[in-house]
Amino acid sequence: MSIDCKHIRNFSIIAHIDHGKSTLADRLLERTGTVEKRQLKEQMLDDMELERQRGITIKARAVRMECRHNGELYELNLIDTPGHVDFHYEVSRSLACCEGAVLLVDAFQGVEAQTVANAYAAINQNLAIVPVINKVDLVHARVDEVLTEMEQSLSIDPTEVIKASAKTGIGIDDLLAAIVERIPPPTGDPQAVLRALIFDSHYDSYRGAITYVRLIDGTVKKGQKIRFLETGVTHEVLELGQFVPQRRACEELVAGQVGYLVCNIKDVKQVHIGDTVTIPGDHAAAAMPGYKPPQRMVYCGLYPSEGENFEELRDSLEKLAINDPSFEFAPESSEALGFGFRCGFLGLLHMEIIQQRLEQEADLDLVQTAPNVTYQILKTSGETINIRNPQDVPDTGEIEEFRQPIVRTNFLTPVEHIGPIMQLCTDRRGVYLKTEYLSPTRAMLTFDLPLAEVIYDMHDKLKSVTRGYGTMDYELVGYFPADLVRLDILVGGKKVDALSIICDRRDADRRGRAIVKKLRGEIDRHMFEVALQAAIGTKVIARETISAMRKNVTAKCYGGDISRKKKLWAKQKEGKKRMKSVGSVDIPQKAFMAVLDTGAERP
Amino acid sequence: MKTATSDIVNAATQQPPRAAYVHVPFCRHRCGYCDFSLVAGRDDLIASYLAAIERELTRLESPGLELATLYLGGGTPSHLGPDGLRRLFDILHTRLRPLPGAEVTIEANPGDVTASLATAAVACGTTRVSLGGQSLDATTLVALDRDHTPDDVRRAVDILLTRGLAVSVDLMTAAPGQTLADVDRDLDALVALGTQHLSVYCLTWEKGTQFESLSRRGMLRPADESLERSMLELTIDRLEAAGFEHYEVSNFARPGGRCQHNETYWDCQPWEAFGPGAARFDGRERITNHRSTTTWMRRVLGGEDFTGDSETMTPLEAAQERVVLGLRRRDGLRREAFLNASGFALDDVAGASIRRWIARGLATDDGQQVRLTREGLLVSDGLWAEVLRPM
Ligand SMILES: Nc1nc2c(ncn2[C@@H]2O[C@H](COP(=O)(O)OP(=O)(O)OP(=O)(O)O)[C@@H](O)[C@H]2O)c(=O)[nH]1
Ligand code: SF4
Ligand SMILES: [Mg+2]
Repeated sequence: MSIDCKHIRNFSIIAHIDHGKSTLADRLLERTGTVEKRQLKEQMLDDMELERQRGITIKARAVRMECRHNGELYELNLIDTPGHVDFHYEVSRSLACCEGAVLLVDAFQGVEAQTVANAYAAINQNLAIVPVINKVDLVHARVDEVLTEMEQSLSIDPTEVIKASAKTGIGIDDLLAAIVERIPPPTGDPQAVLRALIFDSHYDSYRGAITYVRLIDGTVKKGQKIRFLETGVTHEVLELGQFVPQRRACEELVAGQVGYLVCNIKDVKQVHIGDTVTIPGDHAAAAMPGYKPPQRMVYCGLYPSEGENFEELRDSLEKLAINDPSFEFAPESSEALGFGFRCGFLGLLHMEIIQQRLEQEADLDLVQTAPNVTYQILKTSGETINIRNPQDVPDTGEIEEFRQPIVRTNFLTPVEHIGPIMQLCTDRRGVYLKTEYLSPTRAMLTFDLPLAEVIYDMHDKLKSVTRGYGTMDYELVGYFPADLVRLDILVGGKKVDALSIICDRRDADRRGRAIVKKLRGEIDRHMFEVALQAAIGTKVIARETISAMRKNVTAKCYGGDISRKKKLWAKQKEGKKRMKSVGSVDIPQKAFMAVLDTGAERP
Repeated sequence: MKTATSDIVNAATQQPPRAAYVHVPFCRHRCGYCDFSLVAGRDDLIASYLAAIERELTRLESPGLELATLYLGGGTPSHLGPDGLRRLFDILHTRLRPLPGAEVTIEANPGDVTASLATAAVACGTTRVSLGGQSLDATTLVALDRDHTPDDVRRAVDILLTRGLAVSVDLMTAAPGQTLADVDRDLDALVALGTQHLSVYCLTWEKGTQFESLSRRGMLRPADESLERSMLELTIDRLEAAGFEHYEVSNFARPGGRCQHNETYWDCQPWEAFGPGAARFDGRERITNHRSTTTWMRRVLGGEDFTGDSETMTPLEAAQERVVLGLRRRDGLRREAFLNASGFALDDVAGASIRRWIARGLATDDGQQVRLTREGLLVSDGLWAEVLRPM
């Protein structure tokens, strides 16, 4: 028997990182009886290995629950979302499947940068907001102040805020009631032509691509033929079902529901997140607008390590991309590193996660170059080019204007840290815009800053100057001219293209010195002297040398020593993995990150 | 890549070993830099040790092996004393039978060497003694945490040479506080002893030793690399000038005085071995006994498996190892001998590497024989990773 729309509620849980979304999801799973108590574990929906290791949510996860309200049975489709700024795209995709959002605010931390960003994303999509103050069990909970902050920054009516604890279960019943009462049911028509939105997917090596869909209109049944509008391919539905939270097959999905489809799709290129699923033939539904492509903030090169395979890396990237449409990759080649890919990410955490997922899930050893932002160059020819790789910067003579991305950055902070944040931003050539007070104790500062200054270590610096209480959020404003140069690094007299960076001319000396110094620590000694130089064009601005290894010979190598010594030698060989040889110098993976060193303390 | 000519390799592996090593894990005291497999101050274990050796020897079927070389190392075999040594040899002779003219070496500490020990050694068939002299400088000996004096060394060498035994003395360089001038004097004094053989080791700072832990706490400082290098170079120059042949990284011999037993290892010939931590090799597999003296004993006597690590090599891996062990020797590698012994052409195993080394002045090649230059030898550990690379 299919459920009617009136009894369905679709909602996401959104919040700043660590405010308790996944823990709240645990409570809801428990209270609705979706998961038996003995099978419940903490942050149960964070089941990816990396999520458990890091204790954060990386992927949004959908689950179907049931609950009774005033004697009637409701189907609740919850999507738990990540809170970290790099995964904002996951949040916005999730919101597109929902009519409502549960907005959590930590009772101690209060409103933070991603609280504001995510709340606005939900408001802009016209979702009903169910505001919750979580962690009211904390001794230091400051519920009244946080109510004020929510009212000031998001115009939330304090009388509508539910006070809850995802840890102890306080307020969970109120929350369930509010979800049913305040979030409108979906409006789709089960009798209409099938129209569903692919909001996520992943690749299963046995079953092929599994697509996650929200049905807008119509009904889909097992065995039915369906068509993906963007790619134009037709498939038979072999299995469909819902997440409880594991996949559970059922016979049909109807308008308003959230579930998955298995169609034995082995070619991952046929699946596009944001695509519309409908019926084949002339009566198909029209395509929905899909998702706005995400804004990639950083790029880096990913190359197979010595002895690893380029094709295998391509394969793994393709499979991962269907689970995470927010990174992109394109083949490139480097004199130093050979054939690899230039990959774009939403931020540094995102980059790190993708790299680790490739290594863990696909068992690949990678060499990664340091991340850089995208620059724009207006050439004297009048052409504008995007620079995603410092290697692509043309000769100075061809550059009319060199532009860098500027981001509008909001800092939310207790008022006593305003001074240090101002200092931090001024040192990084930020332009001050405004300060707003959310409450007598908390303020929001807004600056325009070069993205390159924000992305690498701003977050760490912010945490340290605000004793952990400051948070930030940023969005791209545009590209603006600046005095930029490409800084090249030479190892053993040879330019290593993968080590070039783009920086402000005023920083070049300091950065150059810092980089060659750092490299000296990262590159092992060789049997010959290795010169390290930083140069702008042909002008060398910094230099270091790694002295030659003068003695390295095992003295004792008798019967019992041989196996042991061989192990030691083999270890050196193991260390050669994740290395690239340039000329005859072995450069370890870590050295490619040395170029991020900004030169310790700023003036 | 050519495959090994299997007959050649099998022929080599089927030969019974003609060399045997016996590990005697007893010392009076553990020197601060030593990480060998041994127990110090536990003479109460000697009886069980002898029983365990007797038992382990039964791995060999009676009548056992005929040997060209037998080597008793440690630890300090001389620590057993004349009677203990006789008992050990009696046991060994049940399965290990040195052929007439065989080289039979025991390691000895200078303080243990007395007329009666020498008499016992000779009576047991010993032909050669390797003496843990380490230095002829009193300060260096103290710095090395040794419990003998320079005079002990001279006296021991005298006694042994008088009995007609071949003698080798160990010298340690890069001891804490030791200068190049100290090494220079040590070398003079060592040459003056008139022994047939010298082994020179640069002090290493092994994990778990007292020296290593002191250095981690900043209380001892290892010599710097360029000093170590100068000491090694000085050693080579001085000993070669004195008529010694530098035939392996750490070993020097007057003509005819090389240690034949050690050459078995470097020739990749099979050998047998007994005792804790001892490694044996049958041409294909190298099996190491459990390193702990007490565990090895308990397991041998309890009839349990007493082996630790083992390493089985494919013919190619064995050939790669032959390159390494060969190039650590003065004679280097002869192409023809290499092919005969390993079944692989040297250039198929390491040709590209050898060409690179020659280009960098680390090796020479006259078409028949490849050798490392002195420079190559001094940095040779940095070369082996590429040779041992799986192909
Ligand atoms: N005291 C208390 N701690 C809570 C409560 N809810 C969550 N926590 C703790 O807060 C931390 C973060 O919880 P998560 O559920 O992982 O937070 P999240 O919002 O899902 O985090 P991300 O997905 O990474 O953005 C964990 O240590 C939880 O145990 C609560 O109500 N009270
Ligand atoms: S005498 Fe030799 S074996 Fe014994 S502890 Fe000292 S160095 Fe080690
Ligand atoms: Mg979470």
